[in-house]
Amino acid sequence: MATKRLIYFTAAELRVYRRSRRTLASEARFDTDEAGIEAFRAFLSQHRDALLYVVADLAGEDFHEDQIPYLRGAERRTVVERRLAQRYRDTRLSAAIPLGIIKDERRNERLLLASFTNAQQFTPWLDAIAESGTKLAGVFSVPMLAPALAARIGGRQAHCIMVTVNQAGLRQSFVENGRLRFARLEPTVNLAPDSLALFVRSETARLASYLGTLRVVPRDGTPLKVFVVAPRGARARFEQTLTSDASLEFVTIELPEALDRVGLRGTPEDSLGEALYLHLAAGNPPKDQFAKLEERRGYRVWQLQRAVAAAGAVGFAACALYASAIWIDILTVKSRTADQASQSRQVAERYARITRTFPVTQTTTDNLKATVNEFRKIAARSPSPEGALAHLSTVLEQFPEIELDSLAWKLGTTESTEGRNRAAPESAKRAVPAGERAELLEINGRVNAAQRSDYRAITDKVERFADTLAQNPDYSVVRTRLPFDIASEGTLTGDIGARETGEAPRFTVVLARRLR
Amino acid sequence: MNTTSPEFKRLVLPIAAFVLLVGAGVALILWSHQVLVGAKRQLSIVSAERAKNSERLLRIADEEREVKEKIAVYRQLAALGILGREHRLEWADAIKRIRAQRGLIDLRYRVAPQRSLVSVPGKPGTIDFYASTMTVNLALLHEEDLFGFLNDLRASGNAYYAVRSCTLSRTGVPPTAASLAARVNATCDIDLITIVDQGAKS
Repeated sequence: MATKRLIYFTAAELRVYRRSRRTLASEARFDTDEAGIEAFRAFLSQHRDALLYVVADLAGEDFHEDQIPYLRGAERRTVVERRLAQRYRDTRLSAAIPLGIIKDERRNERLLLASFTNAQQFTPWLDAIAESGTKLAGVFSVPMLAPALAARIGGRQAHCIMVTVNQAGLRQSFVENGRLRFARLEPTVNLAPDSLALFVRSETARLASYLGTLRVVPRDGTPLKVFVVAPRGARARFEQTLTSDASLEFVTIELPEALDRVGLRGTPEDSLGEALYLHLAAGNPPKDQFAKLEERRGYRVWQLQRAVAAAGAVGFAACALYASAIWIDILTVKSRTADQASQSRQVAERYARITRTFPVTQTTTDNLKATVNEFRKIAARSPSPEGALAHLSTVLEQFPEIELDSLAWKLGTTESTEGRNRAAPESAKRAVPAGERAELLEINGRVNAAQRSDYRAITDKVERFADTLAQNPDYSVVRTRLPFDIASEGTLTGDIGARETGEAPRFTVVLARRLR
Repeated sequence: MNTTSPEFKRLVLPIAAFVLLVGAGVALILWSHQVLVGAKRQLSIVSAERAKNSERLLRIADEEREVKEKIAVYRQLAALGILGREHRLEWADAIKRIRAQRGLIDLRYRVAPQRSLVSVPGKPGTIDFYASTMTVNLALLHEEDLFGFLNDLRASGNAYYAVRSCTLSRTGVPPTAASLAARVNATCDIDLITIVDQGAKS
C-alpha cells in the first residue's frame, strides 16, 4: 500500500505531510530556492513509492467564468483546451471547473477557468516530482477544495464565503451552490488574534463588496453567510469582532472543531487551516485539478494495477459467494442425508429387533427365503412318474385287450404336433402347446383279442384308449401312432389274403402333463 | 490511456493475480458443484435404502408369517440332509439297504460327477444348488417295485431325488412262470440335488 504524502506549496515554502487514515504528520519542509528543490529531489528519491497530492496555496490564482457549447467527450476536451490556451499563456497548470448548464435556447455550459498568474514558481517542483518516478495523484489549489470544506462546515448553502487562516495567509473562497466561483489570498504577517479578527472582517467586507459588483450574490436582502475557521484559542476574540449585520452573517468555528468535522484527529502543532484542505485533498479529492494526464501517468498505472487486482479479488469473491450458495445446498443435502440415514438405521434396528423374535435358524432371513423359494421352484419342475403311471393303470383296467410292451417317462418339452398328430383329440392339442415343459409318457403296446385284418376295430380301440387317457384334464395325448396309418400323408399298406401271423397290432400313444 | 511497454510490465503481476484469483474462484465453483452432485447421489441412495427398510418394516407381519412357514421347510431340508455337502457313501448305503429290503433281483447304478444347478443370491453369501445325476438299472418282478424303490430312496434322505426319466420294458418272461426271473427292466435317470447355503452358520 503506497503511503499518501501531501505537499503543501506556498510562495514561501513547501511542506510535506504524511497522511494516515485520520492523522496528518509533518515530514519535511523545503525553502523555495534552488537548494530547497535539490533537497526535495533527494527526499523524493527516498520515497519513490509515495502517492503525492500537491495542494497549492498561492496568491495570484486567476478565476474566469466562461461559456462553451454543450458538448461531450473529445469535442468538449478540444474546446476546453482551446479556451484555456486562449486565456492563459502557460496551460500546464490550468483547469476548467464545470459550473453547470445554462438552460436557455443555446444550452451552453458554464466553466470556471482557473490558473496561476505566476506558474513558473511552481513548475520546477512539478518537474522534480515527474523525474522522481513517484506517483502524482493530482495538483490542487486550496480554493478547489473549499466547496468540500464549506459543505462539511456549513452544510448545503446556496451562497457562502469560506474563510480560513492558513500558513500562506487569509484564504477566502466564495462558493455558489456547492461550486467554487471565486477565491483570494491575503498575506497575514504574525497578526495578533484581535488584529486578525479585524483583518478577517475588513477583508470579508471587501470580498462581499467585490462579489456584489460582479452580481453573483443574491440581492434579496438575505445576508451572505461567512464561515470563519478561527485559529486555536481565538474563537472568542473572533466572535466578538465578527458580528453579523444586514449583509454578512458570520459563523465562527475554532480550528479543532473544524478538524473534527472533516474527520481529522491529529495534526502538527503548528498547522493552521491548511490541514483541513490537505485532509480533504487526500480523502476526497475533487475531480477537477491542474495536473495533466501525462503528469499523472504513474498514478493512473498504479490505479490500473489496483483496479485489475481488485477486479480479480471481486471475481474471486463473487465466485466464493456463488460457491457459498452451493455449499449451503450441500450442507442442506448432507443434513437431509444424515436424517435419512438416521431414520433408515432406526427402521433397520426396529426391523432387526422384531426379527430377533422370529424362530432361530442357522441362516439369515434372506437366505432362508431364497433357499426355500428356489427349492420349491425345482420341486415344482421335478414331478414323480408315479402319478402318470397310476393314471395309465386306471385307464388300462377299462381296456383288458390292450397289453403294454414298454413305457418311457421323461421330463422334456412338447414338440410341434402339427401334421403328424392327426389322431390326437383337438382338446388335448390345445392343453399342451408345443415347446412347453411337460412330463411325457410314451406308451407302447398291442391290441390283443382282435383279428389283425379287422383294422377298423383295432383303430377304434386304440382311439378310444387314447380318448380315455385324455379325459383327465391334467393330461393330454400329444401323439398317437396307430397300427394302420390312416393319415393322408402316410402310406397305407395291407396283405389281404395272406396267412395270419398271430402277432397283435402295435401302437404308440404319447401322453403329456404340463408343468406349472 | 495507451500503456507503454514499461507500464505494461508493471501491469503483468496484477493481471496474473487477476487470472489466478478468477481461476481459483471458477475452480472453487466447479469443485463445489461436484461435491453437490456427489451429495445428491448419496442422498438418493440413502433415501432409497430408507424407503426399502420402511417398506420391509411395514411388511414385517407378512414376513414373520412367511418366515415361520418357510423355516419349517428349511428345517425339513436340513433334517433330510438335503442342505449341506453331498453324502455319496450314505447314498450307496441307502441303495444297498433298499435292494436288500425289497429283494430286488438286480440293481446297478452310476452317479455322475456333481454339477452346479443354480446359484441364488442371498444376504450374506449365495445359495448354491448342486445336482449329481444317478442312472439306475433295475431288474424287477413287477412295476410296483419301481415305485417302492423310488419311495425308499426319497425316504432315505441325504438329497432331493428328482426323477428326470424312467423307461420300463418287458423282459419277455411270461407272467405265469414260476421262477423269480425279472419280468420288467427299468432304467431311470435321477438328479440327486443338494443345497449349500453359504450364509448359514456352520
